[in-house]
Amino acid sequence: MPRLNSHRELEHLREQIREQRENITTTIMLCGGPGCQASQSQTVVEAFREELSQQGLDSSVRLRVTGCQGFCEQGPVMVIEPGNIFYCKVSPEDAFEIVHQTVIKGELIERLLYEDPVSGERVKTESEVPFYRAQNQQILSQNRLVDPLSIEDYIAAGGYSALVRALNGVSPESIIGEIKASGLRGRGGGGFPTGRKWAECSEAPGDEKYVICNADEGDPGAYMDRAVLEGNPHLVLEGMMIGARAVGAQKGYIYVRNEYPLAVKHSRIAVDQARELGLLGDNILGSSFSFDVAIARGGGAFVCGESTALMASIEGKVGEPRAKDVHTVVDGLFHKPTVLNNVETWANVPSIISNGSSSFASIGTESSKGTKILALTGRIKNTGLVEVPMGTSIREVVFDIGGGGINGNSIKAVQTGGPSGGCLPVEKFDLPLDFDVLSEAGSMIGSGGMVVMDEASCMVDVAKYFLTFLQDESCGNCLPCRVGIDRMLEMITDITEGRGTPGQLDLLAELGETISETALCGLGKTAPNPVLSTLRYFRSEYEAHINENKCPAGVCKALITYSIDPDRCNGCGVCLKGCVYQAITGEKKQPHVIDVQLCQKCGICRSECKFDAIQVV
Amino acid sequence: MSPLAIDQILDGRRSQPDQLIEVLHDVQEKDGYIPEEAMQAVSQGLGVPIMEVYRVASFYKAFRLKPAGKNVLTICMGTACHVRGARLLLDQATGQLGIELGDVTPDGLFSIERVNCLGTCALGPIVTENETYHHHVTPGKLRKLIDTIGGQQPEETQHAQTQ
Amino acid sequence: MQQYVNVNIDGAIIRAIRGTSVLDTAIEYGICIPHLCHVPGLTDIGACRLCIVEHVVNGRSKVTTSCTLNVEEGMVILTSTDKIRKLRHNLAELLVAQAPNSRAIQDIAVRCGVTSVRYPFRNADCVLCGRCVRTCTEIWKARAIGFVGRGKDRHVDYPFGIQPEFCKQCNNCIQICPMTITPCNGPMKPGEEYLCGQCESQLIVADETPGSCVWCELGEGFACGRYA
Ligand SMILES: Cc1cc2nc3c(=O)[nH]c(=O)nc-3n(C[C@H](O)[C@H](O)[C@H](O)COP(=O)(O)O)c2cc1C
Ligand code: SF4
Ligand code: SF4
Ligand code: FES
Ligand code: FES
Repeated sequence: MPRLNSHRELEHLREQIREQRENITTTIMLCGGPGCQASQSQTVVEAFREELSQQGLDSSVRLRVTGCQGFCEQGPVMVIEPGNIFYCKVSPEDAFEIVHQTVIKGELIERLLYEDPVSGERVKTESEVPFYRAQNQQILSQNRLVDPLSIEDYIAAGGYSALVRALNGVSPESIIGEIKASGLRGRGGGGFPTGRKWAECSEAPGDEKYVICNADEGDPGAYMDRAVLEGNPHLVLEGMMIGARAVGAQKGYIYVRNEYPLAVKHSRIAVDQARELGLLGDNILGSSFSFDVAIARGGGAFVCGESTALMASIEGKVGEPRAKDVHTVVDGLFHKPTVLNNVETWANVPSIISNGSSSFASIGTESSKGTKILALTGRIKNTGLVEVPMGTSIREVVFDIGGGGINGNSIKAVQTGGPSGGCLPVEKFDLPLDFDVLSEAGSMIGSGGMVVMDEASCMVDVAKYFLTFLQDESCGNCLPCRVGIDRMLEMITDITEGRGTPGQLDLLAELGETISETALCGLGKTAPNPVLSTLRYFRSEYEAHINENKCPAGVCKALITYSIDPDRCNGCGVCLKGCVYQAITGEKKQPHVIDVQLCQKCGICRSECKFDAIQVV
Repeated sequence: MSPLAIDQILDGRRSQPDQLIEVLHDVQEKDGYIPEEAMQAVSQGLGVPIMEVYRVASFYKAFRLKPAGKNVLTICMGTACHVRGARLLLDQATGQLGIELGDVTPDGLFSIERVNCLGTCALGPIVTENETYHHHVTPGKLRKLIDTIGGQQPEETQHAQTQ
Repeated sequence: MQQYVNVNIDGAIIRAIRGTSVLDTAIEYGICIPHLCHVPGLTDIGACRLCIVEHVVNGRSKVTTSCTLNVEEGMVILTSTDKIRKLRHNLAELLVAQAPNSRAIQDIAVRCGVTSVRYPFRNADCVLCGRCVRTCTEIWKARAIGFVGRGKDRHVDYPFGIQPEFCKQCNNCIQICPMTITPCNGPMKPGEEYLCGQCESQLIVADETPGSCVWCELGEGFACGRYA
């Protein structure tokens, strides 16, 4: 494609693309996101391609492989327009039928429709699916409109018009003003007001400045940044261009996790495409604005999500944070003024510039505006990506959208904010999603991970899990984080292994506060949160471990024993084969027994037994 | 790794210390791990002291300093997978293969690694075997997977034969 | 030309050289802020966190390390509030429980008021203060040792664990290491570590005028800024 030298040429291109597509009557939007790919959506794509070309429908039916549409649990999912028909759990064998029945004849295929678990009825359209009904997808909905590998799709959907506005319509100062007025706060965890960050960077002395997109997404159990960057890379790029224009940066970086190969690939392709069209490079669209973006891959270090460590990592160094007495907006990447924002933060920018700050600010609460994408996972029915207005209550997210617990288990808590966040008990589920409200309650929105826990989750074990994670992920530079977390873990291990003492609970709390106050970077400062919040809301579980040597959820290995209920066991032998430690013996069709000496309490047998015969006490 | 291959990777990036991590990624993509000679060559090529190269390679978990097995089983230990029983899978893999996390089986066929999240949390627990994703994995599924890759017949049939 | 700024440390208005740290300024002026990883003339990495102070901005105080904080005009610093003393005590307790087998560390623990330890002793032979690493890198420009690994695996090592031929064998890394100064009563046997507390008598003076440097002998062995 030729380079675009003015915004008129961009508009012309947009018209051209739209004209070319006028004869498309049907669009099949098949999810090719990470979740659906794991459910073999690639083979479904191939089956569709083949069937469509056999039927000679290539030019009138558009098969669009999109980024994540959200409802990963039901994957592979697809939407057919017109009609907003939603099919889930589609297999390659279904392609033939879908093309013939639905695309050609316009008839629905009953068995591929989503079944509402409450009413038991099949739901026809996507917007009627309860999982989607309660959402307000401002960003995720755009994933359906584009093939992430196609800049034409993005342009056809109105893309890069916010950039045009930022280059011609409004001054850098008014861009910053608009972002400030929108009330946009950082989606990466801290919730720092984006407009203020930009203003500080713009005022910082120096001609050389940088903007960075933080796509490190180190919070385990969260993947919204992946979905956005992978599913709509040009949206993020456009946001970065506008930010660069506003603060006066010439160069940008996308720092992306290497564990996300598709996100790396898609952002690289997007950058190349934008460069080819002259949307990146010198004198963008004929203006005086020059800007380019490079992709830097992360190295599997959670601490590199922290701003100073991330910048060190882009510089090719070890990702050790440094003291931030001088802020990165003044002294950042290569010691130049730098704006670092999260993927989702950048993705919110283009629509604020196009539609104005007031439409953004009309959604949300007093102090938290707009929508937030959450990764709803864990022990819940409907897992997937969820986008809701700020201010939505946790209850609505977990029960209305998430559909409640799995296997009829009752939900006990939700962990928000990842390793830096905390656990909130079910009694707190009426709290709204709001940066300030949640941090007051001892947790945080963080990046938007929401891991649901039920009666089978031991909260002490959860705290231990996070400490183990953080101990591995701490850079190890400073004493409170490196040694303090290790000591907390030592105590929690004592508690989970039956050696705990009541005094340890107070020491845990005191040490936790010491670490929060004295650690160098955000990782250490927030590291005690999972322990402090579970101590606050689930102290009785700690006490049961210490005083009664019991793990109420039956999780902590040292406090439980496995045995086989002879009345339930029918001697199928599945457990015997499953046990990797050869701890189970028994004759076929006779009740089996577990040798407690050999049993490592891994629980593999229990997960395999179809008759629920294996007991934990 | 041949000097030629290193040269190719370094091409256009010489004397650019900030390219260190990118270059190490490329070395690993080619060789599966980062041998000592490669680090020496990278140190020379980029003008980064060898101490720093070694530090970076040892700091980031994405880099392997020794060769991996032919089949790398990566078990996700992220929060979402953890609460759905990822621990069982680790026990299954280490127990069945008789090696610890991070090690390679003596025949070089398997190694077990962990990752903190693969971004497909909704379908957890997740195990990848080289590049292939397996979702909703149970210890039983994992056992069969390991058996199949290991060229063994799944245990069911073995059982039948011996009985 | 040197420029000066006025800072308020514990109520004293001090004329400090612009570009120096709060810690250096305080030590120079005779205010004792305990520290371990700071070595005069080397870059500060804020590893031991013992030098924490309260930095008061607009009436709100923030806990931060004084070695990484540069003086600025009008700055208000409190080095020895109850809060700081408690936090510093907890840090020193973590430190000495980790490595009781060093006179320097034992001394620091006493100085920070640690009279008992609530964690099981460990007998680490390195506290990762990085004094050696920075001496090697910054003074000798040798880069023969460095921090390797991360988190709990972090340790000081040569490249690939082998002493390189470019190591200048100056032994400065050993001289500056706090772990090389054995406790007065000699090395403690593993499993029999204890808090020695022998220097308590020296600190009575310090107790009477809290926070002031009394030219104690504590810092001598591991180069407190005052002795540098
Ligand atoms: C230990 C740690 C890990 C972090 N990880 C991430 C991350 O994975 N992604 C992210 O966007 N921000 C992360 N952050 C927050 C960033 O440091 C930074 O505040 C954010 O990227 C700023 O962007 P925002 O204002 O748009 O949120 C992390 C912070 C800490 C302390
Ligand atoms: S708080 Fe932890 S991660 Fe942060 S600098 Fe200190 S040791 Fe490193
Ligand atoms: S070897 Fe000594 S000087 Fe070096 S980091 Fe360890 S304790 Fe500090
Ligand atoms: S937690 Fe396992 S894929 Fe995210
Ligand atoms: S002297 Fe400041 S942190 Fe160690």
